[in-house]
Amino acid sequence: MTGLKELQEKFQRGILAGDDNILLEIKDTAKEERKTLFGVYRYAYVARLAEILAEDYEGLHGYVGDANFAKLAKTYIAAHPSDRRSVRDFGRHVPKFLSESDLFPGHPELAEIASLEKALADAFDGLDAEPLGLAMLGEIAPQAWPRLVFTPHPTVLRLAFSTNADAIWSAVREETAPPKATVLPERQIILVWRQDVTARFRPLDPEEAMMWDEAVQGTRFGVLCEMVATFAGEDGAELRAASYLKNWIEMGMLAGYRVD
Amino acid sequence: MGTEKPPFLGFGLGLRPQHYSEILSGSPNVDWFEVISENYMVAGGQPLRMLDQICERYPTVMHGVSLSIASTSPLDLEYLARLKALAARVKPAWISDHLCWTGVHGVNLHDLLPVPYTKEALDHVVDRVSQVQDILGQRLTLENVSSYVSFGQSEMTEWEFVSEVANRADCWLLFDVNNVYVSAFNHGFSSDDFLNGVPRDRVVQFHVAGHSHEESHIVDTHDHPVCPEVWDLYRAAVAHFGPVSTMIERDDNIPPLAELVEELDHARGIARTVLGAPRLEAAE
Repeated sequence: MTGLKELQEKFQRGILAGDDNILLEIKDTAKEERKTLFGVYRYAYVARLAEILAEDYEGLHGYVGDANFAKLAKTYIAAHPSDRRSVRDFGRHVPKFLSESDLFPGHPELAEIASLEKALADAFDGLDAEPLGLAMLGEIAPQAWPRLVFTPHPTVLRLAFSTNADAIWSAVREETAPPKATVLPERQIILVWRQDVTARFRPLDPEEAMMWDEAVQGTRFGVLCEMVATFAGEDGAELRAASYLKNWIEMGMLAGYRVD
Repeated sequence: MGTEKPPFLGFGLGLRPQHYSEILSGSPNVDWFEVISENYMVAGGQPLRMLDQICERYPTVMHGVSLSIASTSPLDLEYLARLKALAARVKPAWISDHLCWTGVHGVNLHDLLPVPYTKEALDHVVDRVSQVQDILGQRLTLENVSSYVSFGQSEMTEWEFVSEVANRADCWLLFDVNNVYVSAFNHGFSSDDFLNGVPRDRVVQFHVAGHSHEESHIVDTHDHPVCPEVWDLYRAAVAHFGPVSTMIERDDNIPPLAELVEELDHARGIARTVLGAPRLEAAE
C-alpha cells in the first residue's frame, strides 16, 4: 500500500504537474471516471488562484483585458506554486514577475501598475499607528523646531516609477479611457500609505520627494529647510518646507516626531 | 484544557467584509459570527478594526482553512503561533479547521484535500490533533470536508474515520451538512449512515451551504442558496443531534446580508419545528 506521505506527494504532483500516477490510487464511481473526478481538484487549483490574482490586481486586469490577464495568470500560477497559508500573499511576486518576464514586451507600465496595486493592498492591512496630528505640533516650543525629526506612518511605501502607471491605474479605476503609456524623462516618486482605513497614494514633485526622502532618514527639520532652499531657491523655502510638512500631517503620512 | 462542551450559540453567519457596515449599523437577526482565521492574520487596518468591533457585540468562533492537520509535512509552528495570538484577541467560543490536508513540501494548494481512511492516516491525524491542542491550550473542532475522489486503499468509512479521530484525539466536530450531502452523492453512501455514525456528544457546530450540481458529481462551491435536499438533511441532523450552533456558509456570489438572514431564519424555523420552541429556548 502506498504510504500517506507518498500518496500526498503523488496527489500534489497530479495537481501541479498534471502527473496521472495518482489516478492509480483513486476509484471510479458508478457515475463518473476517476480522471474527471480528480480533475475537479486540478481545475479548482488554477481557477481559485486566477480569481485571487484578478481580485488583487483588478486595475491591471481592467487595463490588459481578460485574454491577456488570463495569459499572465496561467504563466504566473505555473511559475509560482503558492507557498503561504494566506491566499492574499499568493500574488506578491506579480510585479517582479512582470518586470522580468517577456510576456508583454515593450510594456514597462504593467509591472508598475502591479506594484502600485500591491503597495495599496499592503498599506490597507499594514501596521496600525496613531497618525501625528497638527494639534501636537502646537505644543512644540519654537526654538525646538529646527531639531525636529519625523517618523513616517508604518504603512508608507515609496515607489519610483519610470512610466505614467499611476495615471493609467487611476483612469482604469474610474472607468475612463486610460492615457497612452509613456516612459517618463525622470523617475516619478509615488508614496502609498493608509489614512484611517483607506489606502491612498500620491505622486510627489521632485522637491517634495527630496524632502520626504531626507525626512524619513532622520534629517532634522532645520536642515530640511536648508535643503529645500538649495533645491529650488531660498525665496519662500521655509514656507514651502512647512507646507509639505502640513500636507503630510493632514494626510496621515506621519506617525510621530522627536526633538533630536 | 477545558473539557466542557461549548455552549449552543444559536444561529450564525460567516463574517464577510461586504457586510461589515450593515452588521455594525443595523441589528441583523444573527446570534453569532464565524470568522475565517487567515483573513485576520494581518498587521492592522480595517480588517482587525472591524473584527474588534464585531467581537465586542457578538459571540464569535474562529474557522481556519490552512491548518492542514492531515498533511505529512511538519506542523507549521509559526502559523499556530499566529492562530493562538488571534484567538487571544478574538476569544472565540471554539477554533475549527478541516479534517484534510492542503499541501506538502511547503506548497499550499488552497484546497481541502481528502485523506485515505486508513489506520496509518488515522494514527497520524490523531497525533497531530493532540499536538495542536497542546499548543493552542484548547480543544480543536474538526470539520468533515466535501470530497470528489476516494482512495482504493481506504480501510474504513469516512464516518468511522471521523469518529475515531474525535474520540481518540478528544476533539470536537463541526458537522458540515452540505459536505455530508455532497460526499454521499459523490461516493454513493447514505448520508443517514454518516449522520448516525458520528458521536453525538462531539458535535458542536453545523455548517449549511449551497453547492453546484454537475450531474455525475457535486462540487462544494458555497455560491448558491441552500437547496431543499440539504435542508432535509439539516432537519434530520437537528432531530438526531439536538440543538447545535448552526451557520449558513457563503463564500462566493455573496448576497446582501438580508438574504442570508432569511436563510438563517429558515434554519431557525426548522430547528423550532423539530425540537419545539421550549427546547430551543432552553438551549439558548
